[in-house]
Amino acid sequence: MSAGAPSDQGEPNLVIGIDLGTTNSLAAVRAGKAPRVLRDQGADPLTPSMVCLHPDGRALVGHEAKALRLEHPDRTVFSVKRLIGRSVTECADDLADLPYPVVAGERDLPRVRVDDRELSPEAISAMVLSKLKETAEQALGQQVRDAVVTVPAWFDDAQRQATKDAAALAGLSCLRILNEPTAAALAYGLGGDNDGTVLVYDLGGGTFDVSILRIQDGVFRVLATAGDTHLGGDDFDQLLVTRILDSLPSQQGAEDPFVLQAVRSAAEGLKMRLSEQEEATLELDLGDRGEVALTVTRAEFEAAIAPLVQRTLDCVKAAAKDAAVELREVDDVVLVGGSTRVPLVRARLEALVGKPPHTDVDPDLAVALGAAIQADVLAGNDKSLLLLDVIPLSLGIETLGGAVQKLILRNSTIPTSVSEEFSTGVDDQTAVDLAIYQGERELAKDCRLLGRFKLSGIPPLPAGLPRVLVTFLVDADGVLRVTAREQRTGVEASIQIVPTYGLTREEVRRMMLESIENAQEDYVAREAIESRGKAEAMIRGTKKALQMAELPPDQTFAVHKAVKALQKLLDQDADPDVIKTGCDDLTKVTATIADDVISASVTKALKEEQQR
Amino acid sequence: MNHVPAPDAFAVFGVPRALDLDAQDLEQRYLQLSRECHPDHHRSGSADDCVAVLQRAAEINDAWNVLKDPWKRARALLEAEQPGVLDANKKLDPMFLADALELAEEVAFADSDRADALTNKLRAAVDEDFAALQRDVSAKDYDGAAKKVHQSHYHRKALSDLEAKA
Repeated sequence: MSAGAPSDQGEPNLVIGIDLGTTNSLAAVRAGKAPRVLRDQGADPLTPSMVCLHPDGRALVGHEAKALRLEHPDRTVFSVKRLIGRSVTECADDLADLPYPVVAGERDLPRVRVDDRELSPEAISAMVLSKLKETAEQALGQQVRDAVVTVPAWFDDAQRQATKDAAALAGLSCLRILNEPTAAALAYGLGGDNDGTVLVYDLGGGTFDVSILRIQDGVFRVLATAGDTHLGGDDFDQLLVTRILDSLPSQQGAEDPFVLQAVRSAAEGLKMRLSEQEEATLELDLGDRGEVALTVTRAEFEAAIAPLVQRTLDCVKAAAKDAAVELREVDDVVLVGGSTRVPLVRARLEALVGKPPHTDVDPDLAVALGAAIQADVLAGNDKSLLLLDVIPLSLGIETLGGAVQKLILRNSTIPTSVSEEFSTGVDDQTAVDLAIYQGERELAKDCRLLGRFKLSGIPPLPAGLPRVLVTFLVDADGVLRVTAREQRTGVEASIQIVPTYGLTREEVRRMMLESIENAQEDYVAREAIESRGKAEAMIRGTKKALQMAELPPDQTFAVHKAVKALQKLLDQDADPDVIKTGCDDLTKVTATIADDVISASVTKALKEEQQR
Repeated sequence: MNHVPAPDAFAVFGVPRALDLDAQDLEQRYLQLSRECHPDHHRSGSADDCVAVLQRAAEINDAWNVLKDPWKRARALLEAEQPGVLDANKKLDPMFLADALELAEEVAFADSDRADALTNKLRAAVDEDFAALQRDVSAKDYDGAAKKVHQSHYHRKALSDLEAKA
């Protein structure tokens, strides 16, 4: 039985929804009709996405961390969502604004450095997720294993995978990575009174997304999505930060983490007050580093942010074009993200679409509530709702001369698939390299390398003769799956993905084992992971060997049967001991086939699989 | 790299191979098929079943993408009736190409005053292309129909260039 499926007792499964935000995060659950936010009793539902790595060795998360950010600016980590799944080179602009030190680790990946520790953005996000998991478990009075985690629609494959890894590190199985605007639309459209075309405008702390959906009888269909991973309320704050720093008597403020953090908090407060009043005054005493007193009018603030707001409106237009929807056909506008409280944002959007925004959905909670609804659907508790989402960026393959040929266009509804046939360029060539890119540009160098695939196991034939059918399938998670088969011989060519960003599978595995090692009661869990890993490798290896060796039908049957039996144990999530016995049984079957060919190839294939 | 044709979209939807399909009926059919077969509602099955559901759901989405657009629908119909017909009829009449080139220039240099008239002219041309295509399909002249598809490409391209300018 797969995770999240209803249990045999018919008891509804509890899967939570998590909005893992740049600035704040929260969890929600749907048990029954309406989803609700999970919080500490009476506490603020929002948990700041902050971790303070205290000098005394503790890691404090959420409000506790936020309270310490002025005291320990160089140890209080926030906004890691801007770094996750990206390289240091890519997020150089963001790093310049951060008061805590980030260094380039292996493969140019960002690592937060505190004392002699280096932490990945995934590990930091995992601490926030653990905190949410804990809060949820306390509120629900039961263990939580599965979750739906939201990301900006505009996140690419690497950023999605990294978020999934963070969930795994926090001990959560991520059943789905859900797009934030889509989640908000679920929260808005639940109940069926809001059928029609809806535009979700999501301006968070660090990212901007817009999605256009059609809601019909419980089917939520995303028509198009567009956005900017680099545009949000933090950028509004930054304009004010610059303004404040300019008025400081000493120009060294920008390099002083204490000053920077104090100014940043002040700017955020200033922005909030400017949403309520026409003019706001700031008096900031930085002790021996100087004093600031300044007044900003709303008009001045709006003039400064106007170009940023215009960028979001351009995205709205682009999404409407891709959706083949005229903006006047939009029935409702849903606002998500704290930055939509800025009056200029509301005014400009209203002018563009021609109707005032819908106000029933709380912009801070909508994403988590929607995630909880989708979590409930994936848990198998609600078959009346269906979500059809799209892939935000086109997928293409590098062709001669560094051009990218698009395979799957952006805004295609997922799952989606496309097949292409490849051949070889030289005689007896047994492998073909494919590079997959994500993005809209024509040249590979302008797109993001998603991964390199090596097709191997092609039978040696004269050049051009092998016909390798490669199928690219994007699943409901938006994750690409590639399969390949040589058409003449029927040989399944194998595919190996070389990750370019984020953590390698091995790193995730190691980090999980490390975190588990610390807890004595989790010895069993570790054993389970290892026995599963071993069983999976055995199944893959045996399947591969079966294809390489030519066995008499009765023996093939026996091996197939044993493989199936073991697979069944894995599907049932059987105990490690049972899986071990299953592995032994399979070994016995393959061992009795004393044929040299098969044992040699089994050994080889098994070794290859285990080395991975 | 050669593109491998997708499964026959009409067959996936179980609708007749025709150009004039009712847009609303098609949409309802799409929603119904999606409800019947989507990975989100079939998570508890065996691994093989899950893969089958996933593939079928991809087929449904991809077929919808083809059928909802009359021109893509036309291409799919022609390929299903006479495989290779689109490739075989790529060579267009030089007179037509000369006209198309002139049109492209007109679009490139059109000022905003001229744009509206030109848009109407192009929309009329695209409609005429589709009517001609329908006549060829009814007469089972798939070669003729394939040529109309290729010709209309120039008109639709000019139209979208014009819209992008606005």
